[in-house]
Amino acid sequence: MFRHTTLRYATLALLLAGALFQALTAGYFGLEILTEILILAMLVLALDIVAGFGGMVSLCHGALMGVGAYAFTILSTSAGIAPPIAMGGAVALSGAIAWIIGAICSRSHGIYFIMATLAFGQMAYSYVFEAPIFGGDDGLSGIRRLDLSLIGLNLNDSRTFALFCLVLLGAVYGAAVLILRSGLGRSFSGVMHNEQRMRALGLTVWRVKADVFGLSGMIAGLAGTLAAQHIMYISPGLLTWTVSGEALVVVILGGLGTLVGPLVGAAAFVVLKHEISGITPYWHLAVGLILIGVVMSRSNGIFGWIEKRWGARLDRRLADATRSQDQKEVTTDA
Amino acid sequence: MLKTRELDKKFGAVHVTRQVSLKLERGERRVILGPNGAGKTTLFNQLVGELTPDSGSVHLAGEDVTSLTVAQRARRGLSRSYQKNTLFDGLTVEENLGLAAAVHTGHATRLWGDSLARPEVREIVQEVAEQVNLMPFIHAKVSEISYGVRRQLEVGVALATRPLVLLMDEPTSGVGPEMSKAFHDLLNNLPRDLTMLIIEHDMDLAFDVADTITVLNYGEVVFDGAPNEARGSSLLREIYLGSWEDA
Repeated sequence: MFRHTTLRYATLALLLAGALFQALTAGYFGLEILTEILILAMLVLALDIVAGFGGMVSLCHGALMGVGAYAFTILSTSAGIAPPIAMGGAVALSGAIAWIIGAICSRSHGIYFIMATLAFGQMAYSYVFEAPIFGGDDGLSGIRRLDLSLIGLNLNDSRTFALFCLVLLGAVYGAAVLILRSGLGRSFSGVMHNEQRMRALGLTVWRVKADVFGLSGMIAGLAGTLAAQHIMYISPGLLTWTVSGEALVVVILGGLGTLVGPLVGAAAFVVLKHEISGITPYWHLAVGLILIGVVMSRSNGIFGWIEKRWGARLDRRLADATRSQDQKEVTTDA
Repeated sequence: MLKTRELDKKFGAVHVTRQVSLKLERGERRVILGPNGAGKTTLFNQLVGELTPDSGSVHLAGEDVTSLTVAQRARRGLSRSYQKNTLFDGLTVEENLGLAAAVHTGHATRLWGDSLARPEVREIVQEVAEQVNLMPFIHAKVSEISYGVRRQLEVGVALATRPLVLLMDEPTSGVGPEMSKAFHDLLNNLPRDLTMLIIEHDMDLAFDVADTITVLNYGEVVFDGAPNEARGSSLLREIYLGSWEDA
């Protein structure tokens, strides 16, 4: 079950401070990288909810993000619906499709679940690639960002858009924590720990899995609507399984089932990608080597390694400090 | 409260349950005895719905539940504990009981609010923890408690769903004599209106707790009666090869 620790709070504060500093001081290129990190972070949070807390390792979250991106684009351009409503509609559609996928795949486990979600993802990719309404290989353009001029914000400005994405990521993180701490979230974790027992207690397991997968799909869809607004162009490449695979790599790199870890993973992955690709076009090799190192270290990703090394020590120190403070107060009172 | 009618199950050529008919009244405590391979756990699995019988039916509180799923039967009041601990290992004792209590109170699928913080869930957790003597370990993780305490928790999790009928598969399996004695007291102190069906190899516990004893052999009911009748049964003595007198 999800628990916040001192280290997790500290890491969140550090990440937030870093993002704010970057958002307020960086130039155009730096802001583009920051926005890329924030959108990827949203997608990997969605994946961590189902994979890290429910054991549902999905290879269709890229496709769910693509559904969000395409639905937003078509609703806001061809259908002429106001972008905020189009965004809501796209998120709802991604959630509904994810719920159906979750319901169908909930009875399979392990490699079979992965393969089933991969099949759904590739079906979505093929459909979007072939259907004329989606623009085929050429994709769709002419995407407008939300108009928030009523509250004095211009999202066409890179800095404002990055800050907007940061606010939404914060809201999504809060929602993820609420989901995992709710009755539904706790039951979902219970199912991962012991599905047979949860069923024997009277829980309709497939329904719980489908509900959480649907919520996770909504978050992936929201990331898709932001991705479409960020680049202002979308193509079927957004739905390929490699996007899902990349998201999974980021979750594992950061720390599966920690929520904070995938945020660390997203930042590390995008920064590494840009830094190493400036030196060599074979940046995937470097990321691959780092991933192998992380997996071989038997830690739960970068953040898992940090937690193992310093988490317990930090909590112990804080507990000692609180105890000695209490003792001091008692002595002073006496 | 719980009734089976001619339950029959075969695994290929092996006939594991032969026309088993049982009838448990409300509050009755029945122990099922039988040698290894007699079909006791297979019978349990058919009662809770983990296995589908080839023929026959299961009735709970007057309702035919034969076609219902495991979860549907559990929600109607049929709860079980397992021979091997089937707990939520990474969680605390409180969280284990809370998960079960949340399912019973309907908070397990709600998106708003922490199910374990609900007063009705907390009340059940507190009450069950006291019933099965788990209060000293309430905040400990399952991985931190002894095997015997885990057996208590195994029963506690089943109890936290507030069942009408509690099925226990060898609750004292693997525990020492002292712990086994504690289990006698624990089971004897459970509410008298709770119907219990227990698979057990511990003869002392069987004769101490049971109102009725049913003996299975090769999937067939060969004895059904009071504990004192069971003690004098030559057929049972034969099945257990004399271990009876040691009990």
